Amino acid sequence: MDYTGLFELAWIIPILPIISFLIVGFLGQKIKGRGGIIAVGLVAAAMVLSLTIAYAALTGGLPEQGYFEQSFNWVVLGSDFTIQMGIYIDAVTALMLIVVSFVATLVVIYSLGYMHDEGDRRRRYFTEISLFVGVMLGLVLANNFLELFIFWELVGLCSYLLIGFWFEKPSAASAAKKAFLVTRVGDVMFLIGLVIIFNLFHSTSYSTIFSPEEIAGVDQTWLMWGVFFMFGGAIGKSAQFPLHDWLPDAMEGPTTVSALIHAATMVKAGVYLVARMFPLLVHAENVMLLIAVIGGVTAFMAATMALNSPNIKRVLAYSTISQLGYMFLALGAGGYMFALGLEEGNEELMVAGSLGFAAGMFHLMNHAFFKALLFLSAGSVIHYVHTEEMAKMGGLRKHMKVTSLVMLIGSLSIAGIVPLSGFWSKDLILETVWEGRLDSIIFLGLYVLAVLTAFMTAFYMFRMWFLTFAGEEGEATKHAAAHHDEHHVDSHGSDEHDHKESHGHHEAPWVMLAPLIVLAILAIGSGFALFIGSGFTSVIYFEIPYTHDAGYWLEKFFWGESSFLTYISLAAAVLGIALAYFTFYKKRVDAPAIASKPAVKPLYNMLLKRYGFTKGYDYVGEKIVYGFSLALDWFDRKIIDGLVNGFSKLIQRSGAGLRRAQTGFVQTYAGVVAGGAVAMMLLLFFLLKLLGIEVHP
Amino acid sequence: MMFENIPILTILLILPLLGGIIAFFMGERAKLAKMFALAVSAVTLIIATVLMFDFFGLGSGLFGNYQYVEDYTWVSQLGISYILGVDGISMPMVWLTALMSLVAILFSWDITNRTSQYMGLMLILEAGVLGVFMFLDYFLFYVFWEVVLIPMYFLIAIWGGPRRDYASIKFFIFTHVASLVMLLGIFALYFQAAGALGHSTFDMREIASVAGGFDIAFQTIVFGALLFGFITKMPMVPLHTWLPDAHVEAPTAGSVLLAALLLKMGSYGIIRIAMPTLPGAWDINAGAYVVAEFPGLTWMQVIMLTLGIVSMLYGAVMCLAQKDIKKMVAYSSISHMGGVMLAFATFTQIGLAAGVFMMFAHGLITGVLFMMCGVLQHKTGTRMIPRLGGLAAKMPKAATVMMIGFMASLGLPGLVGFVAELGIFTSTFVAFNWLLLLPIMSVALTAAYYIWAMQRVLFGPLTKDIDLEHLHDLSWYEAAPLYILVAFIVGFGLFPSLIMDYITPAVLKVLMGGF
Repeated sequence: MDYTGLFELAWIIPILPIISFLIVGFLGQKIKGRGGIIAVGLVAAAMVLSLTIAYAALTGGLPEQGYFEQSFNWVVLGSDFTIQMGIYIDAVTALMLIVVSFVATLVVIYSLGYMHDEGDRRRRYFTEISLFVGVMLGLVLANNFLELFIFWELVGLCSYLLIGFWFEKPSAASAAKKAFLVTRVGDVMFLIGLVIIFNLFHSTSYSTIFSPEEIAGVDQTWLMWGVFFMFGGAIGKSAQFPLHDWLPDAMEGPTTVSALIHAATMVKAGVYLVARMFPLLVHAENVMLLIAVIGGVTAFMAATMALNSPNIKRVLAYSTISQLGYMFLALGAGGYMFALGLEEGNEELMVAGSLGFAAGMFHLMNHAFFKALLFLSAGSVIHYVHTEEMAKMGGLRKHMKVTSLVMLIGSLSIAGIVPLSGFWSKDLILETVWEGRLDSIIFLGLYVLAVLTAFMTAFYMFRMWFLTFAGEEGEATKHAAAHHDEHHVDSHGSDEHDHKESHGHHEAPWVMLAPLIVLAILAIGSGFALFIGSGFTSVIYFEIPYTHDAGYWLEKFFWGESSFLTYISLAAAVLGIALAYFTFYKKRVDAPAIASKPAVKPLYNMLLKRYGFTKGYDYVGEKIVYGFSLALDWFDRKIIDGLVNGFSKLIQRSGAGLRRAQTGFVQTYAGVVAGGAVAMMLLLFFLLKLLGIEVHP
Repeated sequence: MMFENIPILTILLILPLLGGIIAFFMGERAKLAKMFALAVSAVTLIIATVLMFDFFGLGSGLFGNYQYVEDYTWVSQLGISYILGVDGISMPMVWLTALMSLVAILFSWDITNRTSQYMGLMLILEAGVLGVFMFLDYFLFYVFWEVVLIPMYFLIAIWGGPRRDYASIKFFIFTHVASLVMLLGIFALYFQAAGALGHSTFDMREIASVAGGFDIAFQTIVFGALLFGFITKMPMVPLHTWLPDAHVEAPTAGSVLLAALLLKMGSYGIIRIAMPTLPGAWDINAGAYVVAEFPGLTWMQVIMLTLGIVSMLYGAVMCLAQKDIKKMVAYSSISHMGGVMLAFATFTQIGLAAGVFMMFAHGLITGVLFMMCGVLQHKTGTRMIPRLGGLAAKMPKAATVMMIGFMASLGLPGLVGFVAELGIFTSTFVAFNWLLLLPIMSVALTAAYYIWAMQRVLFGPLTKDIDLEHLHDLSWYEAAPLYILVAFIVGFGLFPSLIMDYITPAVLKVLMGGF
């Protein structure tokens, strides 16, 4: 069937939330609920269109060439440099459309409840979040890297604004600044890469620069540098080592923002960028290796920082960084193998590489669902206890049955327990990395790191769950329970609060629970996408589709040929959960005692200090850059301007009397001009004569 | 073409000039003077807008040629003529001049001291800048170049801050000395061209037609003299120290015009006069001096790109250290004009186009920034960043406008500064490859000083250092000009081709050595 007419409507997708941005932004104050309903409506409409188009694209509706494209010339900078704006739809776009629009809709619905108490400020919230959804969808739909960069910067702006939503809080204002500036460092690299690519191809359109003839026709060294620098942008946006330290601070924003922007969508933009660049990247295997190493190291390092974080949102933030590292690891490992295979003409290696690409994208999708679920559940907890410190929680299971259950599902999923979604994609990533050891020994090390990360992931997630929901009730839990009982009696019969009572005394309102339940279902089930029809990898792939039925999958990857890999990853997860269970639930292991041992204490504190990165960034900003600027300021005032003033004093002393210029200014001025002109002319005549140039007056 | 038999450019020039003189002598009738000045600048803007649409209708093939040319001989013995004309480079600048003058006058609505003279000077200033952008005769170009100085001097010296005497004299001496060096270059061209042509003329087009054949040494020296005049005006480091002082002391509207228009005269001079007239100074194909180690790079390029990169980075680093927000904005102008210089130094079509677009974009953006400094000064009584804080809670509209201005200035896509910045960096890479790594650092530095300033001024807890009695959001005469500028910043940011389409054909002509 011909879906061209449908695809031509794709430009409406980002427009819908932007209409909401305009309506709520300009008129929100006059609307009841400050525009929340409008935002939900238009974002949901964008979702419906997104899902329709994605469905068409994924079920064979795309044109023969594998993508649909339309574009127009946005601005012509010169004969060789034209910037286009357009729409590009292929399977990867479709996947991103599904993830972004779906999670966005759920988060905006959830926000109706979560932000309910913010009053008039909800206008600003819904304005900014609508803009975010619009530009994020634009980013996904862009048909060239420059357009992607434009939206890339705009999602960064929304992230900045929303992290600083409670801008009176100095910590929030500071976190927003940090997020903007650290990602900006990555963006500078992105811009450098973009300029190189733009100059190399005189275009940044996917359809142009991905064609093998074009790629073969350019200088391969420049191409390598171009993609290397563009990957720098991904490092900043997706919070990878060494630009990762902004993301934990970004938790200063509302939890809904953390869920949508800093877990499910915007931070994935870096992964998406790498996936998009794949046709170029496979010609630069060194960069692929770098991507894998950065991903692996980040995954491990971020997981260690999550081990002892006292703050529930921070644990999830570190976890996000860690999981993003997994995705880069998969893409890098797969891409490296593909690049080698391409060079050697080794078909088998290319197939393995293509599978790594699919594994990374698969994890991107699964992670979006279970991490959004975890964040929104945490939001529900914070909404109830009004603290983010896990030490003050505890025993919440009794008060928040639904929340505790869905969060358990999310934790199991991210820990990689079969058959939840996280299991399938994580296992595929580990298999890819293991496969890569044959081509570079580095991957063996990365595999070990990845397995350790899996173990730590299971441990810190269940540490979080036990500390929050199990055990004795903490002070915040008690306080909240007492307060909510009182509140319940007070507001009995009042229309304003009736929706809060639908789930017992304490649970979050239904607008918050419904999205949680939907996401929980996905956290369980989205992994089965691998087996639906001819499988996830038969539609999301790089160059080589991987079409097999469920039996083949299970046999080849899970309980057959390489079953020991599956057992290792499962064992890591189970061990992690068990350790958390005995430490934080059964209290068989005395965690505080271990932490205060002289051998462990420094390590423990180092993790709390995030390996000193926070201080390091501050040092660079406050001491080096700012210190240099103060020194330059001194130089500017004392030396450069000092010379100017000294010179003018000299003239004043010699009697010229600058002050006279003020008296009878116009006459003096006329005199200066005329006198100066005459003097200059005479001087010129003289000079020209000296140089022997003929003068014709 | 609507204006076949109408001297439209003369009307555009005379209107603010006459209006200014009339307003100047209105004496005590302050209200009338304000209304009159506003009306005159509004009519000027309307004419400029109609002209711009009409110009666009000519088709891009003609954007490289001068249109609406008026050519009258004035003093034939000396070769002085009255020649006006606009092309794709000057048209956006003319429109920008008309727009910025209008918003500056509107923003000055609360002026109470010698109002009629103030308004008169604003209009005369507008006429002066329009003259610079439209005259194609060196004599009148120079006269108007100097005419611009006088109203700006008085605006600072009479309506300025506490150190206005120092600042105004400094401004005057710096720019005047530079003008004289430029004049020297003009005279050299005049005499030399007279020899080649057989008759004396100040006609830029005629001089350009022969100047390309002059001795390379001569061309290089004259280019240097002109450049000296222009870079002092832009200004480039190390000739910049007059600018922060002038801005700090100038009244807000004066700062707006100074940064949005007067600085552009310098970069306009480079691309309008120096480049097409004297290709032998910079063009390898015309035989310009080449750096021995880097064939393909001329010495003039090296000088210009050094000035550009140093100014970009120097200005940006200076911004970080500033406590007075107006001084910070002033240094940011130096940084951005450094970008223009760097783009020009590439001598590529994309570079020149990006440079001209940056001139236009910076004009709009810097207007917002200086007005916001004025708003802060007015509402809080201080511009010192450490004394401010948390203002977003009390003045959300002002905070939003300030944020848009800052974001535009740091090159956020979707706002007008982005395309200029992208073009500048692309052209830098095209011309100088890895040298790109130096100027592009300014992208991060620019973000740093703006974002940090925003954090300290708008966010955090509300400051306790100032009297919050009078702290309220934008007044109408502040909101109106700011909203107008923000609308154009967003509009041209979303549709940059509306301006860029004028520029690209015109700069191509400059590169080809055509005048």
